[in-house]
Amino acid sequence: MDRLLRVNMANRTATFEPLPEAYRNRAGRWLTSSIVHDEVPPACHPLGPNNKIVFSPGFVTGTAAPTSSRISVGGKSPLTGGIKEANAGTGWGRRLARLGIRALVVEGQPVDGRFWVLKVDAKGAAFEPADAWVAKKLSEVVPVIATRFGGKDRVDVCAIGVAGEYRMGAAGICFTDREGRASRYAGRGGLGAVLGSKGLKAIVVDDSGAADVPIADKATFDSGRKKLAAALGEHAITKPKGALNSYGTAVLVNILNEAGGLPTRNFREGRFEGATKIAGEAIFAGNKERLGHELYNHPCSPGCIIACSNTWHHKDGSEHTSCIEYESDWAFGADCGISDLDQIAEMNLLCNEYGLDTIEIGGTLGVAAEGGLWKFGDGKRAIELVHEIGKATPLGRILGSGALVTGRAFGVTRVPQVKGQSMPAYEPRTVKGIGMTYAVSTMGADHTSGYTIAPEILGVSGKLDPMNPQKTELARNFQYATAFIDSTGHCLFIAFAILDIASGFEGVVEECAGVLGTKWTMDDVARIGKAVLDLELDFNRKAGFTAADDRLPEFMYREPLPPHNGVWDVPDAEIDKVFAP
Amino acid sequence: MVSVHVYGKLRRFARESDPRGESVILVLHREGDTVRSLVERIGIPLTELGANVFVDGRYADLASPVEEGARLGLFPDDMQLLYKWYFRPKEASSEERGHEG
Repeated sequence: MDRLLRVNMANRTATFEPLPEAYRNRAGRWLTSSIVHDEVPPACHPLGPNNKIVFSPGFVTGTAAPTSSRISVGGKSPLTGGIKEANAGTGWGRRLARLGIRALVVEGQPVDGRFWVLKVDAKGAAFEPADAWVAKKLSEVVPVIATRFGGKDRVDVCAIGVAGEYRMGAAGICFTDREGRASRYAGRGGLGAVLGSKGLKAIVVDDSGAADVPIADKATFDSGRKKLAAALGEHAITKPKGALNSYGTAVLVNILNEAGGLPTRNFREGRFEGATKIAGEAIFAGNKERLGHELYNHPCSPGCIIACSNTWHHKDGSEHTSCIEYESDWAFGADCGISDLDQIAEMNLLCNEYGLDTIEIGGTLGVAAEGGLWKFGDGKRAIELVHEIGKATPLGRILGSGALVTGRAFGVTRVPQVKGQSMPAYEPRTVKGIGMTYAVSTMGADHTSGYTIAPEILGVSGKLDPMNPQKTELARNFQYATAFIDSTGHCLFIAFAILDIASGFEGVVEECAGVLGTKWTMDDVARIGKAVLDLELDFNRKAGFTAADDRLPEFMYREPLPPHNGVWDVPDAEIDKVFAP
Repeated sequence: MVSVHVYGKLRRFARESDPRGESVILVLHREGDTVRSLVERIGIPLTELGANVFVDGRYADLASPVEEGARLGLFPDDMQLLYKWYFRPKEASSEERGHEG
């Protein structure tokens, strides 16, 4: 029985409601964006009582579908002022799905400024004061909270750190990984600040005694999951000991560097001289040296067969941090001019401890260097600045508000952001298609909302030149496909395999149709993706966004980027055609 | 001279093969050189080469010409994370690479 759990923090009530009929076949990003669109006044203050934060597992989350433990989180973003969807891989959403909860909606606001823990289990939902757990590092409180409520094998925890408590724009929402680490993030857009504004420190989900997720048509579902598992198991990127399992996403450092598209020192250059020292290969080699054996990556969440999540170890072999993703590696590495993996790992760890989005913080540090707060390459000082955020000093609170605010505070003009969200690890002057995605994404500068890097850089030369500014259709179609995948509960990385192996993509559609009992086919993918995007675009329009917001920062039109020395030259009219009615 | 930057398992063809450093093979340029002629001259089996091949930072394939002084970047088949979703097999002039899906 699918239901919706509505939590009101004004009076601390938690009420189960039947899932509205209109949402019967919606889940994941489709459902979080639907509820935000339908229930949140677009003009509301993101940190005020009228904003809501919505969690929804995908269609197949909680089932035996491989690599499907993503939880979608939605709300109005304090960073962008628009709609936001961020998702994470964790057992948390899987447990929520097994409890039959298609969406958890948090609304209202407490008046006393206190923080609470919400516990959800088969019996219902209850609150406990979180006073003992605020103002601390997440690694110090999340395991304690898990133990308090039954242990990491029985519960998963979602929590905010100090950044969320202080309602900083760069605050993410942290979830436990398969080992109970407080390390998986719905990182972007400041949703941690929204949860903080609701007075919710943590949400614990215990699925003990829950029944399996019901599957309407088991034969179709099983056929689908087998096709997907076969595709993931054979593809060079997603198979065991393939690129992701061996080197993690940070394998991209060397590749983007070769392509001249690795933003370096706050997007001043497209190649970083220290790239090989921080790339996935260096992480693999460094771990091998320090541990005395090869270490392949691990699954971040139950049921993942790609297993791309890495760990980095201290010289004595003890674990330093997990996970150094490509974007985090780049943010604290190339973008800060830092080539020391231990320093990068430390900043990654601190973001996990304080509850921060690594991309936003790395981007902010790049801007802060331009503003004279530190010098590119000075890792020790960069680490101190991240500590300032954790201590919530006045400087730290400025930095924790993200790149745009920091740029304004320190008079910096080179601020790589769109709609207030800092750019990830792909240079739009080199890879024009990702620039289109940054420009038009409903999320602000976001690589995951339409990952047009690959087709472009790898399109056959002369036919799909990355420098070619004609990217309209590509940007649109990738955003539709992505919105669909974000609704299934699958990790976006299945795309590597299913866009190559057609039966894998068919398998994903069959899985969803099997769970829901619908007759969906491949033709429904773009329809669903468009439906999601239309809701998000409508929300943003009502929140006051216009075509003028779909633009990259001015300096990119003006400053040529070495080594290709290109500028951002996609005509505004082309950008406006992407989602033109 | 062409400087060929190799990664992953292809580093074994370079003198310096530390995965944390640059593995560069300097090859004398010959008239009419292409990615294929250089790869063959180095002795890299085509089956080990992925779709992530760059000439002076631009995506290239085996038939792409390589000029004197160029930088060639080669990633192995198990490292091609930037993938070729946009190819159709008939469009890819690189059937020999054997990575068509």
